[in-house]
Amino acid sequence: MTRQDFLARLRAGVRGLPPAAIEDIIGDYQAHFTEGAAAGRDEATVAQALGDPDRLARELKAQASLNRWEVERNPSAAANAVFAVLGLGAIDILILLPIVLWIIGTLFAMALVAVVCFAAGAAIMVAGPFVIHGGPIAALILAGLGLIAVAACIGSLTAVGSILCTHALVWYGRLHLRLLKPALDPQGAAA
Amino acid sequence: MAEAVQVQLKKGVLELCVLALLSKSDAYGYDIASRLAQGIEMGEGTIYPLMRRLQGDGLVETYLVESAAGPPRKYYKLSNAGRERFAAQKAEWTHFSTAVNAILGGAQ
Repeated sequence: MTRQDFLARLRAGVRGLPPAAIEDIIGDYQAHFTEGAAAGRDEATVAQALGDPDRLARELKAQASLNRWEVERNPSAAANAVFAVLGLGAIDILILLPIVLWIIGTLFAMALVAVVCFAAGAAIMVAGPFVIHGGPIAALILAGLGLIAVAACIGSLTAVGSILCTHALVWYGRLHLRLLKPALDPQGAAA
Repeated sequence: MAEAVQVQLKKGVLELCVLALLSKSDAYGYDIASRLAQGIEMGEGTIYPLMRRLQGDGLVETYLVESAAGPPRKYYKLSNAGRERFAAQKAEWTHFSTAVNAILGGAQ
């Protein structure tokens, strides 16, 4: 592979990062080729010693999106981080898949239960007094409110669960990538 | 299997090795990469993502130095936080490797 090929593949791979960061990254590798040439190594040797540009680009991008997740903590940053880590192949998806599916299934079921509870609570509270003639109106309204409270509770548990799962995945990704900060930040506490 | 263990071991100590090199003297990217590649057979390219991370974490700082051959070189130097990190990781590594050696020695 020539210097041009290597840099072109790297540039294509890091597309989407801030332009200043891209120029910085390309500059590093350009300087590496220049130094290599000065040391008497030809382009193909230097390129081979550098390694696979696609893989390096994925690593650089994953790092950028993990950093973004640490700063921004919103669903889009989370999704970005998760996909970047998965894209690296850092996580053995075959081992992880059953666990991940189970967790996603559980979270989904919890969200569903929350929605159903909320709807049922609202229905009992609003329609109950009219449908059930002579029923204790106050008790029906209270029961409805109770169900809505349960729904809200399950809903927030689901949200907390999703955030913790993202943290876990990001942590696992960092571990594999050695992007890990040795003293693990108390990320859970920050959420 | 043996290969996988080696890769993981090398990745794990790469940061420590870079901090160690920089604790002796400031260095530029190509210099760090070629010295590490000689010693522990790493892909030279992996050094740049690592340096970016160390810089992002505030462990290293950079400055430019004019070079006789070509454009200015970007030198890396340890920050105070980097020095502390190196001391802590070195102590950890020494402790860990002593323990592993003791077990390996006993298993003959």
